[in-house]
Amino acid sequence: MANWDELAEALADYTVSCNENERLRKMQRDWSRTLHFICSDTGTTFSLMVERGEILASPEGHVGTPDIVVTTHSETFCDMFWGDLNPVQKYLRGEITVKGSQEDVMRLDAISYVIWPDS
Amino acid sequence: MSGGDGAHPVALALRRSIGTATATATSAGLAFAAIDYLGVVSVLAYAPGATAALAIFIGGGIVLLVSGIFSELNGLYPSAAGIRLYLGRAVGNRTALAVTFTYMTTVVLVIAADAFLIGAAVRHVLGEPAALAYLWIAVLLGLAMGANLRGVRLAGWVQTVVTYTVLAGTAILSVVALFHVGGAFRHPFDLFGKGSFSGIQAVAFALFLYAAFEWVTTTAEEARTPPVITRALFIAPVLIWIVASLFALALAHLEPFSSLHGSAYPQLLLGRAALGTVGELWMLALTVLTALNTFNGGFLVASRFIYAAARENNLPRQFAWLNLQAVPWVAVTSLAVVSAVVAAVVFATGQWLLLVAVGAAIEAGIYAIGSLCLVVLRRRDARERPFRLIAGRPLAMIGIVLFSVLFVATGFSDPKNAHHFSVAPISVIAILGALSTAYVLLVVPKLQAAAAARTAAARPRRRPARPPAATQEPVPAPGSAPPADD
Repeated sequence: MANWDELAEALADYTVSCNENERLRKMQRDWSRTLHFICSDTGTTFSLMVERGEILASPEGHVGTPDIVVTTHSETFCDMFWGDLNPVQKYLRGEITVKGSQEDVMRLDAISYVIWPDS
Repeated sequence: MSGGDGAHPVALALRRSIGTATATATSAGLAFAAIDYLGVVSVLAYAPGATAALAIFIGGGIVLLVSGIFSELNGLYPSAAGIRLYLGRAVGNRTALAVTFTYMTTVVLVIAADAFLIGAAVRHVLGEPAALAYLWIAVLLGLAMGANLRGVRLAGWVQTVVTYTVLAGTAILSVVALFHVGGAFRHPFDLFGKGSFSGIQAVAFALFLYAAFEWVTTTAEEARTPPVITRALFIAPVLIWIVASLFALALAHLEPFSSLHGSAYPQLLLGRAALGTVGELWMLALTVLTALNTFNGGFLVASRFIYAAARENNLPRQFAWLNLQAVPWVAVTSLAVVSAVVAAVVFATGQWLLLVAVGAAIEAGIYAIGSLCLVVLRRRDARERPFRLIAGRPLAMIGIVLFSVLFVATGFSDPKNAHHFSVAPISVIAILGALSTAYVLLVVPKLQAAAAARTAAARPRRRPARPPAATQEPVPAPGSAPPADD
């Protein structure tokens, strides 16, 4: 199980990787969403605020009304934000569950794919 | 358990979510394509006159069993991965992949068939030479591809309005047609009038009219609450039943079967017989409207499936390439090209009823597989479901047998001649199934190995190693959820 410090470290790296990727920023320029995350093993929750493709904040706890809610194990979240696992594989096996539109789920995966095409 | 590993996601209100009306429209819209008008003609081939309505009614009753089965499966695994996930959990990933690849070919068939049918209908109304139909097919597919590549989507409310307009428009014209002519219905209960097997084949083709309604389960993640999808799965077949029955009755009443038999646009013939040019234009408008749902839903479902398969390293990675609209452009373009080729083959051979038979057989097969998933997952996964089918296990066992019989009935049918059997539909399915299975067994392992080698060579693991003290299991914070039970 990963604690909040580990998640925060992973999120910080993820934020830098996203925000500094020009192609991704261009691709997500029309994508402004609030994402909620739930760790199914520890109960930890956190949020991600995205404004026109830029990640503005990733606070602990749920902030605002979500467009997408993602639930999985804390370890999976950590590996996902570090780019060490392919989220689609986990999703298709039902190990990551999502609430939200298919388009938003696709956009969320596109972030990982553009940053780490070989993950 | 409260999240991963197939557990039910925590109930949280989303900013945007879909309710029962939209989900029902999605379900009915996915099912009611232009090819359904031809599907009714296929039913009429085996159940003459008003008996077609009886076959459609029986088919609807059987489809409600499918509604129950998919409602329970969807409640257990509410995911866009749908049947792929149910099958993966029930019988393993490889089988799931092979079946899903075959299943997805029906999307290509429906897109191709609709492009052909709409092209043929437009050409007919404009009085152009037959050869120009393919130009219309190319234009339609080109427009659909262009819109998809630019990331254009039908807004949910537009899709809802389009679906209810098509359903209501078809029902109203059918009623007008029935009042226009009057008189008694012919052959109302002649289910086995064309041979001892004809009744079963009529019901099997009636099942095709509802085909793809279960794809609404792929929107489970957007649903406001789990019962939204369940309600849609039960309401949509009723709407389709009403519309398809009225259309079949009107068609049987106004048009001799001999004129419907060789026509790619029976709905236009009905429109003209009922209201002249106005009726013909009315049905043409509805036919074109069905394209919005088919092309929007079909391209979206299939291209995203291809993208996910490529991301999972089950298809070449090029299929996951995204353009600047975050659209998997290789997947969308390939889909359009393959659909155009299939439509060209249909155009050249005139075998559109074969597509109906293949689609009907694959759908019956998928319903049998869905029933099998329920039987297996009742044993393997004892978690509470938001919807539990009463007498689920015996009903699912009946489903396996029933849908297997209907699979055989359509797989060996010859819709052009109800008194004959044909191996053409089952041959097409066998080829598709064999290709999918061979691909999964021979190509996918190589793709997976190549992807693993690429990942290993690309970079080391990025996540920092955890200090020794941190590897001990932390004590959950007060008020946090209990640990996962897997």
